Amino acid sequence: MDASTDRPGGPDLLDLPLPQPRECPFGPPPEMAGLRERTPVVRVKCPTGITAWLVTRYDDVRDVLGDAGRFSSRAGQAIHLMAHADPDRPVGDVEFSRMDGADYQRFRRIIGPEVSTAQRMAELRPMVQDLVDERLDALAAAGQAADFYGDFAVPVTTAAIGGLVGVPYEDRELFHNAAAVMFSGATSQADVLKVMRPLHEYLYKLVVTRRAEPADDSLSRIIARSEAGERPFTDVELVGICAALLVPGFDTTATVMAHGLLTLLAHPAELARLRADPSLIPSAVEEIVRFLGGAPGIVRQATRDTEIGGHPVAEGDYVVLAMQAADRDTGAFPDPDRLDVGRRPNNHLGFGYGTHQCFGQQTARLELTVTLETLLRRVPSLRLAVPLDDVPFKTGSIVYGPAEVPVTWDAVLPAGKAG
Amino acid sequence: MTGGGGGGPVRIGVDVDKCVASGMCAFVAPGVFGQREEDGVVVVLHRDPPEDQHEAVHEAAVRCPAQVIDVE
Ligand code: HEM
Ligand code: SF4
Repeated sequence: MDASTDRPGGPDLLDLPLPQPRECPFGPPPEMAGLRERTPVVRVKCPTGITAWLVTRYDDVRDVLGDAGRFSSRAGQAIHLMAHADPDRPVGDVEFSRMDGADYQRFRRIIGPEVSTAQRMAELRPMVQDLVDERLDALAAAGQAADFYGDFAVPVTTAAIGGLVGVPYEDRELFHNAAAVMFSGATSQADVLKVMRPLHEYLYKLVVTRRAEPADDSLSRIIARSEAGERPFTDVELVGICAALLVPGFDTTATVMAHGLLTLLAHPAELARLRADPSLIPSAVEEIVRFLGGAPGIVRQATRDTEIGGHPVAEGDYVVLAMQAADRDTGAFPDPDRLDVGRRPNNHLGFGYGTHQCFGQQTARLELTVTLETLLRRVPSLRLAVPLDDVPFKTGSIVYGPAEVPVTWDAVLPAGKAG
Repeated sequence: MTGGGGGGPVRIGVDVDKCVASGMCAFVAPGVFGQREEDGVVVVLHRDPPEDQHEAVHEAAVRCPAQVIDVE
């Protein structure tokens, strides 16, 4: 109950990550509910060796993420899980995800318009629609079965983020490799540098080319917008920005897309509701992000002695925000363990909260929305090809979700005219 | 959580210095909030939105990640 027993170093610290049993492939680990009720701020030991406070209540998670003054991003958002992310390393010139204040705003406001505005999303929509339709046509031509994650979600999200930034699909391997190494918990800093170097060299050439010959892509507009401002980005900064969009930009979305489809197929009544009323698709997308929560918790560091929900936290302490658990808090959501594609309001924390909230969230929403619309319209017979219990889940990646989603269908209907 | 949009007119204030160009407000209440082309910062398109927008305005205030929007 009281805080005095759980200061660092105790032998009986709870170990993260909590086990994810096979029986509940959609929710947070079941122990989270008990923690949230009994010890909402609890000392844990993380696989990278650091100790931290695990925070599981909705109001507390929002409080911490929403107050960058008390809780800094400087240590790095996944130092609890990624062995290569040393919290004490200096902040790199382009590591904006570890910056606070004006340094951070400089990046956010130049990149933001490319990935967030309604105008930009409206421009990107036809591209995403074409990618989805072409991929479905290719799968239909090849037969009546596929792995929805590897054969659909990964290529579609890869081509979408590549198309947005301005990297041709043929050149995807470089950022695929980088993401695989970055998001594996076990990699060393040296391995990360090894895989980032060819990506950076490639992107440097792209930056030089686009400076000379602007194209209709986000990189060219980021260059132009930055040149018009007070502190234009250097080539090195531009390379870092491209990498920061490409590397986290596809697999998180692909995983939520595949995991989301699996969730709907496992909840046939909700899928039927969606089929009967496609105007529910936007709220279904929000609900999928709430229900699954793509990120395995994110880290902040206390800048001063403070409190979280009345619990004392000392300056320098690390805090792991379990958004997945917070998004199942009965204090914030009625019947939170129920998937409800019409849920409103749905102020979930699946994309985080506060100044560092996901840069790419509107892009992710667009991709998820177009995919759901198109699947319902063109592949009404889509179903799992194996029992749910046989769907394999990823191990060794910090992005949790299915490793494969074997699906089958009777027919893929022609694309026709997009709504 | 949100009180909904019952009652009289709403007054919308924005603290643009804090805005992180997330697009959340314009996504939730597109008729009321937009974003500047050059930096993605919020613009209020409709200072005194009609009653049927009040709920969306309150939702935008709750969901704005940077606590930019103040609704009275
Ligand atoms: C469903 C898919 C996605 C989920 C669940 C997700 C989740 C998240 C979360 C929870 C954060 C917050 C990290 C923090 O507060 O420290 C984040 C940050 C970020 N995301 Fe996403 N994301 C998704 C898709 C994307 C896409 C498509 C892109 C690129 C276009 C992207 C780029 C980023 C970047 C650059 C950051 C760092 C922002 C910062 O620290 O300032 N994400 N994401
Ligand atoms: S939701 Fe908030 S941070 Fe995002 S664009 Fe609107 S005002 Fe700015």
